[in-house]
Amino acid sequence: MHAVGGIRPQAAGMPRRGREQLNKAALGRSIRYLGKHRRATVVAYAALVIATLTQLAVPKMVQRMIDSVTNGVTAKQILAIPNPAVQNLAIEKTGLSITVLQHNFDVAETLLINAVVILIAFAIMRGMFAFVQMYMAEWVSQALAYNLRNDIFTKIQRLSFSYYDRNQTGQLMIRATDDVEQVRGFIAQGLLMTLQAVLLLTGTLTILFLTNLKLTLVILPIMPIAFALFMFFGKISQPMFLAVQQRLSALNTVLQENVAGIKVVKAFARQPYEQARFDRSNDDLYTQWIRVARVFSFLFPVMMGIGMIGQVIVLYFAGGQIINGGMSPGEYQEFSLYLVYVFFPLGQLGFIISMMAAASASAGRIFEILDTQSDIVEKPHAIKLPSMQGRVEFQNVTFRYFHSGAPVLADVNFTVEPGQKVALLGSTGSGKSTIINLIPRFYDVSEGAVLIDGHDVREVTLDSLRSQIGIVLQETNLFSGTIRDNIAFGRPDATDEEVQEAAELAAAHKFIMEFPGGYNTSVGERGATLSGGQKQRVAIARALLLKPSILILDDSTSSVDFATERQIQDALETLMQGRTSFVIAQRISTVRNADKIIVLDKGRVAALGTHAELMEESTIYAEIYASQLIDDRKTDHAANAAL
Amino acid sequence: MFHDNSRILGQETIKVQHLGGTITRFGRYFRHYWYGLVLVLVFIVISATANVLGPELVGQAVDCYLFPQAQQGSQSQDIVGCWFSDINLTATTGQRLTGLGTLSLLLLGVYILDSVVIGLAFFVMRWTGQNVLRWIRADLFRHLHRLSIGFYAKHEAGDVMSRLTNDMQTVQQLFNFTLLNVARGVLIILFVVVSMLWRNVPYALLSLSVVPVMLLTTRYFSGQARKAFRRARQEIGNVNADLQESISGAREVQAFNREDESIAQFERANQANRAANVRAAVFTSALHPVLEALSFVAMGLVVLVGGWSALRGTPLLGSSVITLGLVFAFMNYIQRLNMPIMQIAVLWTNVQNGIAGGERIFNLIDEPVDITDKPDARKMPEIQGEVVFENVCMEYVPGEAVLKNISFQAQAGQIIALVGHTGAGKTTIASLMPRFYDVSEGAVKIDGLDVRDVQMDSLRSQIGIVLQDTFLFSTTIMENIRYGNPEATDEEVIAAAKVAAAHDFIERMPEGYQTVLGERGSGLSQGQRQLIAIARVTLMNPRILILDEATSSVDTRTERIIQAAFEKLLEGRTSFVIAHRLSTIKHADLVLMMREGEIIERGTHYELLEQKGAYYDLYMSQFLDEEVAEAEKIEAMPTAD
Repeated sequence: MHAVGGIRPQAAGMPRRGREQLNKAALGRSIRYLGKHRRATVVAYAALVIATLTQLAVPKMVQRMIDSVTNGVTAKQILAIPNPAVQNLAIEKTGLSITVLQHNFDVAETLLINAVVILIAFAIMRGMFAFVQMYMAEWVSQALAYNLRNDIFTKIQRLSFSYYDRNQTGQLMIRATDDVEQVRGFIAQGLLMTLQAVLLLTGTLTILFLTNLKLTLVILPIMPIAFALFMFFGKISQPMFLAVQQRLSALNTVLQENVAGIKVVKAFARQPYEQARFDRSNDDLYTQWIRVARVFSFLFPVMMGIGMIGQVIVLYFAGGQIINGGMSPGEYQEFSLYLVYVFFPLGQLGFIISMMAAASASAGRIFEILDTQSDIVEKPHAIKLPSMQGRVEFQNVTFRYFHSGAPVLADVNFTVEPGQKVALLGSTGSGKSTIINLIPRFYDVSEGAVLIDGHDVREVTLDSLRSQIGIVLQETNLFSGTIRDNIAFGRPDATDEEVQEAAELAAAHKFIMEFPGGYNTSVGERGATLSGGQKQRVAIARALLLKPSILILDDSTSSVDFATERQIQDALETLMQGRTSFVIAQRISTVRNADKIIVLDKGRVAALGTHAELMEESTIYAEIYASQLIDDRKTDHAANAAL
Repeated sequence: MFHDNSRILGQETIKVQHLGGTITRFGRYFRHYWYGLVLVLVFIVISATANVLGPELVGQAVDCYLFPQAQQGSQSQDIVGCWFSDINLTATTGQRLTGLGTLSLLLLGVYILDSVVIGLAFFVMRWTGQNVLRWIRADLFRHLHRLSIGFYAKHEAGDVMSRLTNDMQTVQQLFNFTLLNVARGVLIILFVVVSMLWRNVPYALLSLSVVPVMLLTTRYFSGQARKAFRRARQEIGNVNADLQESISGAREVQAFNREDESIAQFERANQANRAANVRAAVFTSALHPVLEALSFVAMGLVVLVGGWSALRGTPLLGSSVITLGLVFAFMNYIQRLNMPIMQIAVLWTNVQNGIAGGERIFNLIDEPVDITDKPDARKMPEIQGEVVFENVCMEYVPGEAVLKNISFQAQAGQIIALVGHTGAGKTTIASLMPRFYDVSEGAVKIDGLDVRDVQMDSLRSQIGIVLQDTFLFSTTIMENIRYGNPEATDEEVIAAAKVAAAHDFIERMPEGYQTVLGERGSGLSQGQRQLIAIARVTLMNPRILILDEATSSVDTRTERIIQAAFEKLLEGRTSFVIAHRLSTIKHADLVLMMREGEIIERGTHYELLEQKGAYYDLYMSQFLDEEVAEAEKIEAMPTAD
């Protein structure tokens, strides 16, 4: 159901996601979708590379900037020493000649200004490329999501009914929404983040190794520890949050039931019981959050601490180098900055790896749908079915679901001549619905054949077959759009006159004109709500417009008042005139007026004939007639008796 | 830490009506855990101090040990600006190294303290916050039970649920994450800015000049991102709606060969969604790079200004000469400001939403209860079953009378049938007995006691109600039936199910009585649900029964079973039936024919037929068909051979 107030109700029977296994193949396939957007992907990655390279250069700029100051200031101080002896001592300490010192002092300011300008220029350049990278990455991921959703939708639309039997709407919805989002997030953030992290890490380490081997070696041991920590964090945080979600869900269920069922709760005075139920869920949720808090309040500081420890180590060892005259302050600051570039990617990588499992599971589910083959396939050289007479034959038809298990239909044989009205009777599960599903080839027979006008339905195009079969079932689905759109559903190019004619025959025209918008009234989620009876009449008009040769319907009406029921029955009668009709019968009038009655029992034809014939010959028919059917015959007696 | 900032940026802001009032309300809950809050405050103060101490110590390392020569006083060997130790320029490498070592250890200590304290603050904040949340939830739920049916009739279930879930969620986010980080961020910014100002006012002001730009930038981008995300949300709504329709209507789509059109329509919605998201991406992608670039500008400014002063030896704008160490310290300070600024800018929306969410929740808790037990209400004694309506008038909306001067008397054990068109007032009469609503005038008396004088629960636990729309809970069938009497044993439950003719189909289910029903009791057919509802009331064994006979579409066989079960249920109690079946009306001791809130005719079925009034007309047009049909069917039945 469409979300109410932003909450999506839990789809019934949805499998709870536990810790998921990594599905590399599925991930690989989703990445290959990027191939459709080669140019954009290349731009994103190119921007990433440039942005990362500039990022790597920034510390160097900072170093230059700082060194210009320190060299200059040091030189200045030394040159200003009044006492020559002390001055010479100081000069010796620096290890530079006085000319160099003088030079340092002279150029200091210029160097500083240059360095700052270059730094800012680089920072801006990095900013621009970083923007391009992030934007293009997002663009590509949206394109990917777009493609995936289109493909999923197309696939779902064309899949046969047996697929829908096996999969609930709720699950399918989630594949197309949540799962696609999960994959998209991974492609947008994860993939790029990985490359960035790897680039940054290798680049930084290389620079560090080349510039200051000793210091790098000191830092090195910390890295695997940090990495392991981040991964651990990612791994345990997921299931913990999942548990929170589950408990929150349980709490919400109690809430929802108490809101929706408040009347029952009050009527049975069960407030204390419900209160206790709520308190339990409330406490459960609380406990889980505290558990999460305990873990996180331990991990956070440890992870922060690692970074900090690294900085202090650098300070000490670099400081040592500085004191012993090996390193400049600029170089120290440079190293400090590079250090951040080392730890940050480690964190990212750890996080990404934990995302991978979930994303790959989602990808797996998506491709499961995309890989499904529809079992109703048009033959390559299927012929177009010409305008039907309407002769329907079932020859030794046997049907099993998924071609296994007990047959739902066994050895069904009958022939229906054009224009005949056939009533189908039988208890639930006897096979009535299967028979009417086989005619428009929503399912294929397991054995035998269904013939229309002598053609096997498997030999003709689905289009030509279905456009000549009209279906009106009790469960009517209308779609968002205007009433006209809905009536013209099967033939969008029908003229307005044709639409109105169909509506009139279906006894719908009158109520349609009562709406302010008439035929252009919007119906569906965002439009007017039609009553059950009105929907049924629109569905009848819809079928009428097709001018079908074969009709499939059931004769029960949703809870409507007498007058409307009469109208609907009349409309159905009109519909059936001159057409081969298959009716799932609930009413006595239907069977009495049928040209043929087919009684099904456990998938077999138990009786076949007219009402009169069967009343005499078949006990099973007589029993059904007496007990199961709704009596709707006009009672003229009533009018007479009243006088 | 690893939060998807873009999502937080895109949150809608809800307007807060009474900021002060809501915060005070929150305060009332938090007051209970004041020690927790105090601890958190202490911790984040320590953390903020550490965040200031760190840069200072680094500055000292530079000034005292690393580049003392840059701090050379012109006369002595003293090091200007080094307060950490009394080292001077004559110190040896070894001494400097030791000093550095000590400072490093101290710095490590400071950093570790910061980490530990943050961890503790996090935990205590969570603990406090979760306790408050649990309390608020409980208060909310308790109030939900107190609110009358009238409230629920006026408010959409979806809106109420939204308060309970969405609003709780934003408040939760506020307590869990936002409050602490914002508080800590504010403190850090405060401490850092104060320290910088304390060291050197002009230098601080110049260095901080970039900060307002950063804040304005964030505000601009997040505002634009919000607008774009709003659009994206609308579009994804369309995409979802299309999906939902096409999946549930797949049969029609295929039957009418509409696959291609359907796919084309979806592609359009999909495309619109994509475009909206890409537009939002412009702003979310820009924020971080811009802020980062600005922070480098700030760094450049710090070094430029400080370096200029240090090189020239000129005091900066009348303050003092900037030492090298101060430059380092300020660089460090500026870097410290990055994270808090970014966090606060991004989280500010969440703060607003959290408060607004809290406000909506408190509004619900404050909702007045119109039907309560009187303070001196007594427990309803065991009901004999006499029900009297004395001149009852009822208005849901003032001025629109739904019941006008209703008076009747039902003896214990009688069956009263309520007949009339929709809207005549039958359901209202039924709602007044268990006191789901209060009368506007007159009185409803059971066994001589006005229902307003007794405790509601004691009253309702003796009145059984079976409505048209059956509500079941997502628990086992056994528990659902036991709802009628929590003390009942399993055997008693099964006995009730047998009486209600539900036992057979329950036994046929794979897990029998232990079958767990889905949400709202899904998994059963309409007929089966009604039978369980009947079993539930059977178990309750109430002295007064209220029954709505209207059944939704069930097949004839099930209809018969339900009818039989109803008939059994009516035995031995005072029953009020909103009648749809002729057989029921015929059996009634009293038929009340209603029209537009008034009883226009009363009597037994036969008495009313003789009157040849409104009831007679109804009988002729609706019920006669039924009677004749029944008779004919009995004729047509094959005689046993």
